Amino acid sequence: MNSGEDTWIIPETLARSALEAQLAQHFDLEALPEYTAVVTYVDTFDWRLYQAGLILHVHQRSWSLYANDGELILLKGGPQCKKACSIDVFPEGPMRSTLASVIGIRALLPLAEVELQGRQLHLRNGDGKIVLRLVLEEQRLPGETHSFRMARVFPLRGYDEELAAVRTLLQAQGIVEPVSPLAGFEAGCLATGRKPLDYSSKFTLALEPQLTAREAMQRVYGELLTAMRRNFPGTMADLDSEFLHDLRVAVRRTRSALSLTKGVFSVEALKPFKQGFAELGHATGPTRDLDVYLLSEEASLARLHPELRSGLQAYFTDITRQRRKAQRNMVRFLGSSRVERLLLDWERFLTATPPPGGPLADKPIIKLANRIIRKHSQQVLRDGQNLDANTPDAEIHQLRIDCKKLRYSMEFFSSLYPEDAFAQLVKPLKAVQSILGDFNDLSVQQELLAATIRHQDLHKEAKETGKGVHRNALQEAEAEQVASLGALMQSLYEQQQPLRQHFAEVFASMTSDVQLELLNSLFGKQQRQP
Amino acid sequence: MSVLAVYSIKGGVGKTAAAVNLAYLAAQEGAKTLLCDLDPQGAASFYFRMRPHSKYSAKKLLKGGSHLENGIRATDYNGLDMLPADFSYRNLDIVLDEQKKSSQRLGKVLQPLHKEYGCIVLDCPPNLTLLSENIFFAADIILVPMVPTTLSLLSLKQLYTFLDELGSGREKVRVFFSMVERRKKMHQQMMQAMGGKQGVLAALIPHCADIERMGLYWQPVMAELPSSMAAQAYRALWQELTGGDTA
Repeated sequence: MNSGEDTWIIPETLARSALEAQLAQHFDLEALPEYTAVVTYVDTFDWRLYQAGLILHVHQRSWSLYANDGELILLKGGPQCKKACSIDVFPEGPMRSTLASVIGIRALLPLAEVELQGRQLHLRNGDGKIVLRLVLEEQRLPGETHSFRMARVFPLRGYDEELAAVRTLLQAQGIVEPVSPLAGFEAGCLATGRKPLDYSSKFTLALEPQLTAREAMQRVYGELLTAMRRNFPGTMADLDSEFLHDLRVAVRRTRSALSLTKGVFSVEALKPFKQGFAELGHATGPTRDLDVYLLSEEASLARLHPELRSGLQAYFTDITRQRRKAQRNMVRFLGSSRVERLLLDWERFLTATPPPGGPLADKPIIKLANRIIRKHSQQVLRDGQNLDANTPDAEIHQLRIDCKKLRYSMEFFSSLYPEDAFAQLVKPLKAVQSILGDFNDLSVQQELLAATIRHQDLHKEAKETGKGVHRNALQEAEAEQVASLGALMQSLYEQQQPLRQHFAEVFASMTSDVQLELLNSLFGKQQRQP
Repeated sequence: MSVLAVYSIKGGVGKTAAAVNLAYLAAQEGAKTLLCDLDPQGAASFYFRMRPHSKYSAKKLLKGGSHLENGIRATDYNGLDMLPADFSYRNLDIVLDEQKKSSQRLGKVLQPLHKEYGCIVLDCPPNLTLLSENIFFAADIILVPMVPTTLSLLSLKQLYTFLDELGSGREKVRVFFSMVERRKKMHQQMMQAMGGKQGVLAALIPHCADIERMGLYWQPVMAELPSSMAAQAYRALWQELTGGDTA
C-alpha cells in the first residue's frame, strides 16, 4: 500500500501562502489552476485497488487514477458510477487496461465522498526545467469543518539534489509528520461504515490452541456468518458475480464445518441449521452456475472458428435471459423471512452461553483439529493413490470433494499451526485441487452443452415430422447454433482429456516423503503409506 | 519499434526537431520512452531545458549499467525520460575506440534499458564515424531526414555506401523529406524523383516557423501547438513509421 512517505501534514499554523513564499525563494514556482471538487472514491468491495497502491476517484464523468509513484491516468467522459460499474463500461485505453488487470471481474463501488481543494506547483530551476512537483491539498468530508491539509511530493528522476533541498525546506516549515494521501478517503469510508481492507474473501481467523472445540467453532461459524451477511446486499443488488460466489463459499464452508466437526454441538440442535444452509446452497446454485457460463463467454467464443461464433452468441443471449430469471427467483428466496430467520436463529445459537454442546464440546480444539485434518488427509491420500489417466470421472469427482473438505478444515484451523510448514502442506493440495477443478469445470460445461444440443434436436425432429417442412430461417439458425455448440463441446473435450495425463504427476507432489513427514509432525500419528 | 535512431550525415536538416517530437509522440501513445541525446551540441537537451549531471560523461555512457542510468533525468512530460548530452561526447569516438567489440558497444549498454523503456529514440550527431556504426548496429530503424536537394541526395548515397561496406543496415533505413518548401522547384523535382523508392516515406515535414521557434519556447511543437500544421506532420510521420495509416 501507499507508504505515504512523500505525503506530509501541513501544520494548522502554516498558511499555504507562507509556504509558497518560502519555496519561491529557491525555485521558480509555477502554480497550476486551483481545483475544487467533491470526488467519489471508488474501489472494489475487497479493496483491490487499495491493495495495489492505486487511488481512483471520479468527479461526474472524469476519472483519475493515481499510482504509488505519482503517475496519473486521466479519463474524461468515462462512465458514471452511481451504484456500481464494471470494467466493461470503460472505453478502451490506459485507464481501462490498468484497472482491468487489478479489479478483474469485480465491480467498482462508490465508497466515500470527499471534498478536495488544492493546487499543483511546478518547481523549476534556473533553466526553467521542472525539477519537482508538489501538490498542496485539503481533503474534507462534505459538511464537515475539519480538514486534512497535506503536501504531496512528486520527485522527478535525476533531480535528487533538488528533492533533498525541498525536503529540508519543508522540514524547516514544520512539515514533518507523514500522513496517508488517503486520509480523507479513509475518514470518508469510516463515515459510511467501511474501513480499508475490512473485507477479504480469504478465510482468516486466529484461534488459540487452548480454546475448547465449542469456543473455537463458535468463532469459526461466527466468522462465516459475517461473511454471508456482508455479501448479502451485493448479491441481492447484483453488483457483481463475486458477491454471490463469496456468499456461497461461506455457506459451503459452514456446511462443511457442520459435518467435519460432528460432536462439538448437539446434533439435535444443529438439525434445522443443517437443513437451512443446505436450502440456501441449493437456492443459490442455479444463478451461480449460469454466472460461470457467462464468465466463460469470451473464452468460449475465442475457441471457435469465426463462422461458428454467431451461433454461440445466440446461446449466450439465452443464458443471459435464464440468468436474469434465476437471479429474480434467488432474490425472492434470499429476501424471504425464512432466510432471515435462519440467519437470526443461527446467530442466536452461536452467541448463546454456551450453545448446547455434544460429546466433543469441551475437548481442546487442537486435538480435534489434528484428528480432522489427519483423517481427511488419509482419505485424500487413499483415494488419490490410484489416480491416473484412466480413472473414471465419478472417482475424480469424489477425490475433488475429499480435497475440498481437507482444504476447508486446514483453512479453519491454520492459525493453530506453524505458518511455513502449513503453507508447504497446502501448496501441493492447491495444485491437485486446481487440476481437478479445471477438469470438473470442463465436464460441467460439456454436460450443459450436450443437454442443450439434445433438447434442440428434439425440436428439430418434431418439426421435420410435421408436414410441409422446408428449410426456413428458424431451422437454419438452429442448425447454426447446434454446430457452434458441437464445436465448443469438442474444443472443451480436447482441452479436458490431456489434463488426465498430469493427474498422477501432480498428485505425486502430495505424497512425497517430505510431505508425509510434515503431515506426521504437524498432526501426529503415522500416516498410512499410499 | 524499440530503438529509433534519427540520423543524418548533414547537419541542419531538422534531425533534432524530428527526434524530440517523435519521442514525445511515442510517450504520448503510452510507451515509456527514453530520448538519448548523443550529439555533443546538446540541442535536444536544450529543447527540454536539461543539463547533464555534473558527474556524467561519455565514459559513463559506454560503461553502461548504473553509470548510464544515473544520467537519466525525467523531462517535464509524463512517460518521457531523457539522457542529456554531455560536452565530453565530442570524444565519444575516441572512448569507443578503446572498447572491445567497439562497433557494438552502444547497442550493448542500451540493451538492459529495454526492460524499462518501450521505445528508445537516439538523436545522433551528424557524421560518419565509429559512433555512427554503433548507432546503425543498435537501431531497429535508422530514420534519415532529407532536405530535397541534390547535395542531400549525395550524402544519402554516402550513407548507403557506408552501410553496404558494413554489410548490413540498408533495410533499416527510412528516409523522410524534411524542411520541405513546396514553392521551390528543386524540392518538388527531387521529391518526385525519389518518391515511392525503397525506404522513402510519404509523410513529410514542411519548413515552418513553428518548428524553428521550438528553441524559443523550449518545448516540442507537439506539446506547445498540438494542432499546428507542424504537429500534424510529425503525427503523420509517426503513424507511417509505426505502421498506422498515413493521415
